[in-house]
Amino acid sequence: MPDAPPSPPGAMEYDYTNFYFGAGEDAFALLAPFDDWWQDVKPAGYYLYELPLHTAPSTRVDVEDTKTHEIRKGLINFASYNYLGLSYRPEVKEAIKEAADIYGGGSSGSPILSGTTLLHRQFSDEIASWKGKEAALLFPTGYSANVGTIAGLMRSGDLIVADQYAHASIVDGMILSKATSRFFRHNNVGDLDKKLSRHEGKKLVIVEGVYSMDGDVPPLAGILEVCRKHNARLMIDEAHSAFVFGSTGRGVAEEQGLEDEVDIHLGTFSKSLGGQGGYVAGSSQLINYLRGFSRSRFFSCALSPVVVAGLRKALELSRNEPELRDKLWENVAFMQRTLSDLGVPTGDSTSQVIPIMVRDDARIFQMGEEIFREGVFINPVKYPAVGKHKSRFRMSISAAHTKEDLSEGAEIIARVLRRYAICP
Amino acid sequence: MSVVSYGFRTGVSAFFEMATPDAEAVLPAYLQPIEVRHQRSVLAVTAFLFEDSDVGAYTELMFSVIVPPQVAKWGEHAKAGFYPYLAATSSAEARRQRGERFHFQYLDEDIDVRFVETGDRCQVKAWARGEPLVDFSVTQRTWEDTSHLLQGYSNCENHRYRSTVQISGRYTVHENEQGSMTLYPHELTAPLLAQEITPYPFREHWFKNGREVFHSLEQF
Repeated sequence: MPDAPPSPPGAMEYDYTNFYFGAGEDAFALLAPFDDWWQDVKPAGYYLYELPLHTAPSTRVDVEDTKTHEIRKGLINFASYNYLGLSYRPEVKEAIKEAADIYGGGSSGSPILSGTTLLHRQFSDEIASWKGKEAALLFPTGYSANVGTIAGLMRSGDLIVADQYAHASIVDGMILSKATSRFFRHNNVGDLDKKLSRHEGKKLVIVEGVYSMDGDVPPLAGILEVCRKHNARLMIDEAHSAFVFGSTGRGVAEEQGLEDEVDIHLGTFSKSLGGQGGYVAGSSQLINYLRGFSRSRFFSCALSPVVVAGLRKALELSRNEPELRDKLWENVAFMQRTLSDLGVPTGDSTSQVIPIMVRDDARIFQMGEEIFREGVFINPVKYPAVGKHKSRFRMSISAAHTKEDLSEGAEIIARVLRRYAICP
Repeated sequence: MSVVSYGFRTGVSAFFEMATPDAEAVLPAYLQPIEVRHQRSVLAVTAFLFEDSDVGAYTELMFSVIVPPQVAKWGEHAKAGFYPYLAATSSAEARRQRGERFHFQYLDEDIDVRFVETGDRCQVKAWARGEPLVDFSVTQRTWEDTSHLLQGYSNCENHRYRSTVQISGRYTVHENEQGSMTLYPHELTAPLLAQEITPYPFREHWFKNGREVFHSLEQF
């Protein structure tokens, strides 16, 4: 056999993970190979990420197609988190304008120095009151809330056990804490029990209220029982469940009647409130400690007071208008039924996050391009964000969607998936 | 070394999570494990039934730690590297030859590896001297043609070697956690039994009717 070089690999068989590590003495060694690969794969589908919106994240959006340089107008939006449709409500925009007149654009300081305004103080008190907790702490993002809380509390020699589908911000908090990290099989209480049984000392278990790629919820009662057995504290990240789950919108812990049993309640303002930022709520001792040790908070500039003003109004609306949650759940039920009737495969979602399971890593971008050009804005998700051949479109339902939006969007998606024999 | 090719009928590779300190203990200082998640590295358990080689047909069982590939340029970019540290074959001639060619270290006794396909599952059972070594299984998803470019790492005395390997054939892969593994006490598996390894694979690869081609062996 001749001493021939190996044949070139297919670009789309590679992904980001193949460029994460690499040899060479130069810190830039990976840049050129990654850039060459990127030039190949971007037009083949990766361009579908970071498409600029030319409108608010409403139920219909105008999106720039960076491949053809066209503006695709009036797309049905299933990509934005705006679960209650609050980000563009006139009351929210008015509050933002008023705050801009008083405070200007930014907070211009760390929250422990000059960055805390009266609005920040009022809003953290309102979050604590809404959650029914003694105190709450604001963070610039949900990411920094997880990182700052986990790394602020746990140390080398401690044990953190998180669900295997935990968000990257939870994982990064675990890394930063230097604690021993373990992951239990998704929602598997028995495996959590095993993972906790091998460690003496401080233990923290972390779950999410709604898992962002699957839309399912944790079995909190079983998880709490195991936590008690092993003297572990429980933290729940309600990024996707706060303001929408539970009779008063306090989240999955409220929905499952276990609010007081969960030790640390965390969430974001970027999902249902349509703004930005994160919070942690709990006992005043917990919050006081985290105020001193959450480096991601006090080494960041505080949330813009303009954003906080909008969030305060959005929180008020979400509390005063429970019909928004009713409308959301009505829409979720309608969409689940519609997709089911069309034979579109969805996973085990019980929330407003509905995965459209196509399980075809090689063709998901083609499907995504067709769906996009035929009138729906929805994000493809593939490895490494989810497992190999667990590729999907992540659909976010909003209370603001009309039945017509939902029906038309479902029909477009089903029409494209039929071409690929994903649905009948 | 010129190109060396091995035709295979079946190849199974299951990826398990192992504790990163255990992976680091296995690897030479110049290699680091790839972490599939924080503090969890990757143990690849691989079995092949080779039918076309210059030492005839034989089976091979290999335990490797997955490591970063050495980057050259796009087009020659390996998807991953592997460092085999426990290996065995059914043929003394095969392990002598692969040991000489690639400096992989093999158990100095014949083993028996069987591949049992039932429905959508391939069960691999390995024995040594009639005693079980390991049972592991993977399941199928959809089959497609593929070609993987990988790098294998090895040591001999004070020398470091890197081989470029291309595996082609019919292929299925998924992460549905449907496989399994049971290890039995043996000289080969003793290091694994002392480690914290998940009993189910997070990724399951299954090849059929393909070819494993070693393109180069470089000392570095």
